[in-house]
Amino acid sequence: MNSPNPTAVAEAPPETPPRRRPIRLPRDRHAIVDSFFRFQSLFGLVAVFVIAIAVSPVRNGENVFLSSGNLANIVRAVSEIGIIAVGMTFVILIGGIDLSVGAVLGLAAVGSATLMVDSGLGILPTVLIVLFIGTAFGATQGAIVARIGIQSFIVTLAGLQAARGIARMWSGGLGIPIAYGDGPQEAPEAFSMLSGSINGVLPVPALLFLAIGVGALLVLRTTAFARHVYAIGGNEKAARLSGVPVRRVRIAVFAISGLLAALAGIIHAGQLNQGSPNDGAGYELDAIAAVVIGGTSLAGGSGSMGGTIAGALLLGILNNILALNNIDANVQLVVKGLVIVAAAALQKLRPRIA
Amino acid sequence: MTERPLVRMTGIGKRFGGVHACRDIDLTVRAGEVHALLGENGAGKSTLINILSGVITEYDGAIEVEGRPVSFGGPADAQRAGIATIHQELDLVAGLSIAENMFLGREPRTRLGTVDTRRMRRQATEHLRTLGADLDPRRLVGSLRVGEQQLVEIGRALSLDARVLIMDEPTAALADAEVERLFATIAELRRAGVGIVYISHRMAEIEVVADRVTVLRNGGVAGTVDPKTATRDDIIQLMVGRSVDALYGEGRNEPGEVLLDVRGLAVTPRRPTPGRTEPAGVDLTVRSGEIVGLAGLMGAGRTELLETLFGAGGSGRRDGEVTVDGRPYRPHGPRSALARGVAFVPEDRRGAGLMLEHSVSDNVVLSALSSLTTFGLVRRQALRRTVAGQLSALAVKAASPAVATATLSGGNQQKIVFAKQLLTRPRLLLLDEPTRGVDIGAKAEIYRLLHQLADTGMAILLASSELPELLSICDRVVVLHRGRTVAALPRASATQQAILAAANGDDVKEAR
Repeated sequence: MNSPNPTAVAEAPPETPPRRRPIRLPRDRHAIVDSFFRFQSLFGLVAVFVIAIAVSPVRNGENVFLSSGNLANIVRAVSEIGIIAVGMTFVILIGGIDLSVGAVLGLAAVGSATLMVDSGLGILPTVLIVLFIGTAFGATQGAIVARIGIQSFIVTLAGLQAARGIARMWSGGLGIPIAYGDGPQEAPEAFSMLSGSINGVLPVPALLFLAIGVGALLVLRTTAFARHVYAIGGNEKAARLSGVPVRRVRIAVFAISGLLAALAGIIHAGQLNQGSPNDGAGYELDAIAAVVIGGTSLAGGSGSMGGTIAGALLLGILNNILALNNIDANVQLVVKGLVIVAAAALQKLRPRIA
Repeated sequence: MTERPLVRMTGIGKRFGGVHACRDIDLTVRAGEVHALLGENGAGKSTLINILSGVITEYDGAIEVEGRPVSFGGPADAQRAGIATIHQELDLVAGLSIAENMFLGREPRTRLGTVDTRRMRRQATEHLRTLGADLDPRRLVGSLRVGEQQLVEIGRALSLDARVLIMDEPTAALADAEVERLFATIAELRRAGVGIVYISHRMAEIEVVADRVTVLRNGGVAGTVDPKTATRDDIIQLMVGRSVDALYGEGRNEPGEVLLDVRGLAVTPRRPTPGRTEPAGVDLTVRSGEIVGLAGLMGAGRTELLETLFGAGGSGRRDGEVTVDGRPYRPHGPRSALARGVAFVPEDRRGAGLMLEHSVSDNVVLSALSSLTTFGLVRRQALRRTVAGQLSALAVKAASPAVATATLSGGNQQKIVFAKQLLTRPRLLLLDEPTRGVDIGAKAEIYRLLHQLADTGMAILLASSELPELLSICDRVVVLHRGRTVAALPRASATQQAILAAANGDDVKEAR
């Protein structure tokens, strides 16, 4: 060996010992710009919130938008979409899509109503059965995607049709109203809690949404499962060759999406006191919108749960403020479309780390 | 200067942020010459090439094409000026035919305005003939080998009347026989007066093909030499700014127990994939502490063999016996292979080895997450320590473990793939072209690493298209021909000729 120090090639500064808590402050402009894009939906949420306060009608000297009742309503209104969007985030992170969630919601709503009203089951067995159905439905779709290798778009498009069909057969094509009481053909009174609020302030569905959102956020930040999810979305082949159980993770992700869609269906039945096979039509698109606004890439591999939650809330506020100002519902749709495009465009502007 | 050069670049400079990617570079390309461009990764080759091919439009300095000053607004401008680029990753559409690819975007029309398929095919055939290629222009590009696809790209450049051809590592994906053919094509082009800018990491090639060699270092020209008079050492010294005597390393210790034993391995795929050569009778052993090379032409089945051994091959019936550590070994996926202490560094680093958009840290720990978690939760402290340890052990040059892997140089990216696989503590390491697209400095480091690993008792099976590499770092070289092992040559008797003869199926010696 002639070269005196073979590692002389490495002119990198010596490893600094790992600090206990590395506080990462954005030091240069680049870092600031980057964190803006990373938390774009949060900024968007704040911006929309501020605008909403500004343009809100004022009644009796009180800002209508800011009233606690209205704020609670916003979260309640987005809770079902939000819960679905949480599951959708996992699916999109692996580079997939789940179009069946709205139909699964309908199936679950029908299931909840039928099992309690017609079969006379209690709340717990009903909820468990419905959640199981949703999970199994999702897992089956996941298995088809993972085993046969059909694109998830197609598999879940088929799943959407199938779930709607099953819901219609199960319900006889009609909405099943839920009456409360102890008699036959009546559901336990406690189920109506889903349309209520805690202390009259926090609606139960909103609480469930926030709890699930935070839980999922922690899962994505801390678990090996989450790293596998990101890895599959980032480069599936590399993930497989690295020993990531790609099929299992795939199936699990679709199962989670099905589970959460079923939960949203139970909430839906509880809020509307009925289960109709047409419930949740188009919800899948709203959920995808929330995920996209949240900055998660449809190509998979990058995105965050915080973004999705913020995205869902942003959509809720938007709908709310437009409605408060008596703006036509059709205009609301157009505005929603513009926001989605704007969010996606912002992601395109994000500077790639060169 | 007797003749006006085709291209004259003077005082070219380009800065990215505070970094000089190019600094005051002069480069000329004359008609009928092959001008090789050498330099380690990050020396400024790609930047210079991107400027010449119109990809980068803002730079300092001036470019003249045949004496006329030019300023390109984009790659299309450069093409119109007669400068065509054959990228390392070919720009072809796999689902279209050869002819359709050649005339993509400027298809000849009939009077009715429909595509004149017949004329297109005829012209495509003519261009291919000029290159000495006898390919049916109706064939789908996706069904061609890489070498043939390259010919299609060159043919397209010719159909554009290119006077200057930039070839970025044209041999990186080629087997030796195809390299020969490419060189014949280059000779043909040279005779026709085309000027070629030739980028490669392989010294041996440059000695054969180049008329002039310009070496770049740190964004500037380190020197321009004549490869006929300059020695390899001179050139390396120009590249790295120091001499690399012990490029390959020396001194091997005695190998130990047989770790991998393969007898009569054959795979009958359920659905045969065109272009894949499954193992069809493979016998080989690798001992602990031994580095065994896997040689063979393109399509001999080297990659497929390694994939099969890693459980990542196609599905189908598997015959023969494989043992690892004396116990039967039948992996049904990469997971079970890793569990048995078998790790794999794939050939296609970007496509199969790394998540380029993800951080260095995410990539390094991916295979070993189970050892860094408690009840499924990642232990961040341990993870950070592990990553830092791996990065410094392999001397990876990265700004921080949090940067995207895509920002690293090729050599450092390859080290990340190694770091990831080594974290699983393998006993047998399967390597597919581990030094492809890696500069010479990083190559030397990888060789050193392999020797260190072998010294710790790891068994290494290494497939490579570079014979000098196999000859210098391997204890034995096993040669594959059409999926079968046809020779096993110990270091002492392995020569380039012997390997090539066996690889061509000329002189079939029994493997054992």
